[in-house]
Amino acid sequence: MSLSDPMLYAYLLVILAGFLPTDVFRFAAVMFSRRIDEDSEALVLVRAVATALLAGVIGRLVLAPTGDLAGVPLWIRLGSIALGVAGYFLFRKSVLAGVIVAEIAIVGGAVYFR
Amino acid sequence: MTEPENNGALPPSAAPPETPRVWFWRGVRAGIVSVQGIVLFAGFIGFGGLIRDVGFPLGAALLSTILVWALPAQLIIVGGFVAGSPLPVVALAVGLSSVRFFPMVASIMPTIRGSSGLGTQLLASHFVAVSAWVESIRLMPPLPGNARMPFFFGLSNVFVFGSVAATFAGYLLAGTLPQALANGLVFLTPISFLLQLIRNARELIDWLALLFGLLLVPVFAQVGGALDLLWIGLIGGGAAYLVGRFRRKKA
Repeated sequence: MSLSDPMLYAYLLVILAGFLPTDVFRFAAVMFSRRIDEDSEALVLVRAVATALLAGVIGRLVLAPTGDLAGVPLWIRLGSIALGVAGYFLFRKSVLAGVIVAEIAIVGGAVYFR
Repeated sequence: MTEPENNGALPPSAAPPETPRVWFWRGVRAGIVSVQGIVLFAGFIGFGGLIRDVGFPLGAALLSTILVWALPAQLIIVGGFVAGSPLPVVALAVGLSSVRFFPMVASIMPTIRGSSGLGTQLLASHFVAVSAWVESIRLMPPLPGNARMPFFFGLSNVFVFGSVAATFAGYLLAGTLPQALANGLVFLTPISFLLQLIRNARELIDWLALLFGLLLVPVFAQVGGALDLLWIGLIGGGAAYLVGRFRRKKA
């Protein structure tokens, strides 16, 4: 096996590009959680960057998904997200209700429009 | 979500011997009956189906569910694998998407640690992801201090190993599920994460960071580049922070 072997590369990605860069933040948070001030300005900024980043990840999963979901028209994907958010607010801020509404929309849309 | 409080955890008076083992199994039970867990497992079934479609090895995918334990990061890894991205670029994107664990772990650890040692806390931190974090905030408050760590391990182990089984099930089911249903399972990750971000948004900064992050995606889709997630986070989050700060000063 060489480093260019795609199967080996997948395992290397999981450990070096997945496990390490993720748990470094979990472990660092434990070390700092004793002395960290919940209201410190730095933590406010870090949380804002983390939120925008996660929103970016979400946006990319919808706009440019990996795999077969890309075959569902973009307007169906965006519409399903919008309906899910509307469902969340209509059903007393229930995440489950919003997820169910969005799922009905995306599966229905995939059946009829792809 | 309106559900009966103290879901799955019996009131302390129900069973006399309150050993850590008892609390661990109460956590297991809370995990099994959790609605959050059902959405989570369905998302990992979608992940299992996706990796088979794109030719990502099953063993590496199962390992990623245990070792990475963050579905967006796992999707970035698979996306990088498919695109043939260099390892440091994938690592940077994953690291950026996992920055959120810092405030998440830092905010939950004081609640669950009780009198546990550093090693136990480090191990527990690995199990913190959106699902366990949300359920801990919901279920922990009525529990006595030293019950929380074993309860957390019971709960989060159900989530992790249920998700490993779900990844495997999704892999086996790939190709047998109707195409539309498979699309729906993959779609669970963005919609459930988005709604959880919306639920957790309290202040103006949270809403702006969420909005800016989403709006910057099509912008950077035009620009391209390997570091687009970094820029989305820094520009979107930085702008949200500045606007929020400016508004606070005026108030």
